[in-house]
Amino acid sequence: MIRIRHCLAAAAIAAMATTGVQANQSVLDMQDDPELWPTQLGNYAGNRYSRLDQINRDNVQDLVPTWQFSTGVLRGHEGGPLYVGDGRLYIHTPFPNRIYALDLEEDGRVLWMYEPDQDSRVIPVMCCDTVNRGLAYADGRLYLNQADNTVIALNAEDGELLWSADNGDHTEGETMTMSPLVVNDKVIVGNSGGEFGVRGHITAYNAETGEMEWRGYSQGPDSDVLLDPETTLMMGEPVGEADLGVTTWPDDEWERGGGAPWGWVTYDPELNLIYYGTGNPGTWNPAQRAIDGEPADNKWAITVFARDADTGEAKWVYQKVPFDEWDYDGVNENQLIDVEWNGEDRKGLAIIDRTGFGFLLDRETGELLVAEKFAPETNWATHYDMETGRPQVDPEYSTFEQGVDVNTTGICPTAMGAKNMQPSSYSPETGLIYAGINRICMDYEPHETEYVSGQPYVGATLNMMPSPEEAGGHGGLGSFMAWDPVAGEVVWEIDERFAVWSGALTTAGNVAFYGTLEGYIKAVDLETGDHLWQFKTPSGIIGNINTFQHEGKQYVAVLSGVGGWAGIGLAAGLTDPEEGLGAVGVFAALDDYTKLGGVLTVFSLPDR
Amino acid sequence: MTINNKLWMGLGVGAVASVAIAFGPTSASGSGADSGVHEPGVYTVEDGKVDELTFRGYEAYARSCAACHGPDGVGSSFAPSLVRAAERRGYDEFSRTVAEGMEVQPGQVMPSFADDPYVMEHLGHIYSYLKARADGEVGRGRPQVIEEE
Repeated sequence: MIRIRHCLAAAAIAAMATTGVQANQSVLDMQDDPELWPTQLGNYAGNRYSRLDQINRDNVQDLVPTWQFSTGVLRGHEGGPLYVGDGRLYIHTPFPNRIYALDLEEDGRVLWMYEPDQDSRVIPVMCCDTVNRGLAYADGRLYLNQADNTVIALNAEDGELLWSADNGDHTEGETMTMSPLVVNDKVIVGNSGGEFGVRGHITAYNAETGEMEWRGYSQGPDSDVLLDPETTLMMGEPVGEADLGVTTWPDDEWERGGGAPWGWVTYDPELNLIYYGTGNPGTWNPAQRAIDGEPADNKWAITVFARDADTGEAKWVYQKVPFDEWDYDGVNENQLIDVEWNGEDRKGLAIIDRTGFGFLLDRETGELLVAEKFAPETNWATHYDMETGRPQVDPEYSTFEQGVDVNTTGICPTAMGAKNMQPSSYSPETGLIYAGINRICMDYEPHETEYVSGQPYVGATLNMMPSPEEAGGHGGLGSFMAWDPVAGEVVWEIDERFAVWSGALTTAGNVAFYGTLEGYIKAVDLETGDHLWQFKTPSGIIGNINTFQHEGKQYVAVLSGVGGWAGIGLAAGLTDPEEGLGAVGVFAALDDYTKLGGVLTVFSLPDR
Repeated sequence: MTINNKLWMGLGVGAVASVAIAFGPTSASGSGADSGVHEPGVYTVEDGKVDELTFRGYEAYARSCAACHGPDGVGSSFAPSLVRAAERRGYDEFSRTVAEGMEVQPGQVMPSFADDPYVMEHLGHIYSYLKARADGEVGRGRPQVIEEE
């Protein structure tokens, strides 16, 4: 049966090759098969939803681990396993970026392992642990972005290296952590390094040969950004002005302007558009990005890009945070959802954003439809102006207005964002988005910093604290929530001790799954949020929970392995910075609950 | 700070009225001049505030060390607490490790900072800050600086 599926896919591709390929047929075929989990986000739309229902609300409490597999790597394990119907799970690790093909027939026997040879000097230039968000698969090939900026394609059958491409230079602070996405005949990848003054870019490589097809930068002249001010839309109108990626920066600051697109890419095959967000604009000290002492937009950092998948041309842009003053790195996933908006059907794009705001946009035009706070403590902006699409910043929390070498206190959310990279889930049945979020605030002090190639280019110090109770906090550092993206409202919320840093999963079995930093995988009722089941994996979970069906049996699988920014910021707990001496241990320390170690755990229902 | 004190579980905020001199032949003056000489590991704490150079050490730590070793020297999921390291290691060993780096095990690497003039210039201040933390004289977060008379 498995072989047949592959033969059919191969035949389909052969047929497409003669007529011109639209979308990647093998990925489209796979995402239509509910048994498979073919991309990191489950489908091109980024929904992380499965139509499987063997495991459901009524029996999930019987779920047991079937087998476990240690990856042999200690640091933070983001991303998750792929299942493409060939009887194996494909998993990856953080640096040194091992790739394993594990046999489902033999409880995870290693069919092959690939470990690239990388310069270990890349490790210290990874800002927030040596994470990697996983593999992509198409047409019998696996794709991965190595930490050292090498994009590789392997033969999934035996792990043989088919091609590699050089996407950047780690000695200049560039790295890669994101998961590629295969679209049409191209592999789409983005770089990391926003804390090292890199210039962000997204690049398409030929999936078969590894040749570069196009590259779009996050700033600089329009010819570099692949933007046409007369046709690229912003808030539904042409951008108008040329080269805003240069003119909205002082001097040549755009050349180290960050905007690294290190998050997830989603894709609409009908519109043939890819969607992704760009990161923070270079240094965290806003004064160095101002022009003549006035805030400057620093385009196109913290911007949602909709690009033509074949040419890279920007169809529309939406800058979520012009002139960032808080490191509100705008890379969070763009969920493609079809919604009813004011009585009409709209092709929507929803974001649970770093900023604490939940956005809904029209994904054809980039028009902003909804911008509402999902984290109640959010205070850096009072609201978004729906006409201009710009946030109304509260001067009390403006680190630019407060000034260089001034400690601006009590800003919510923290630089980690009200949600970081942990991808959300969308259930088409409930119409709700389910997401693990952070409930953390910060003090932020910008300072002058000098750019040195390959060195950190941060320019701010910060202290973090739990969201205060009077601002809506619950004493813990995270929540798991159900969000109505059209109404812009939280439907229910579960309070957690720590930030919820794992990718969510929802299924047709009326269950939502998520992982916690202590290491619990939890199942809750999709409609009510009621707790149904949990299991403690060996280490904290910052990976994503995926599901698939093999030979009639549904499995749920997750990589545990604490780390990432959460593992750096929360290991020893948070304290009241004004407490001074003796403040250690006021808030729970992650280090008291979990230790390092990458493990894949595969769950199923017991045989009757 | 907008956080209600009630949140802090009733822990007293009492000012710490102590002066601590960690080690070394001289005590820091705390006068905070740019050119101030600061014996590595020496610091001054008054009423919970630190001298200017120890504060520089805090800043340098936050800029160059915290990305791996966590906020305030407390350690992260993968990198050790440098507060504890300052308890156990002398300045010679500390400075050698920062300058040369260390491969703890494959994939767990402390980089060399020998080519980073900012870090090398502030090495002694960083050590003073960590010593003050290790001695329990400076708590979490951004310390206040002793104001000049």
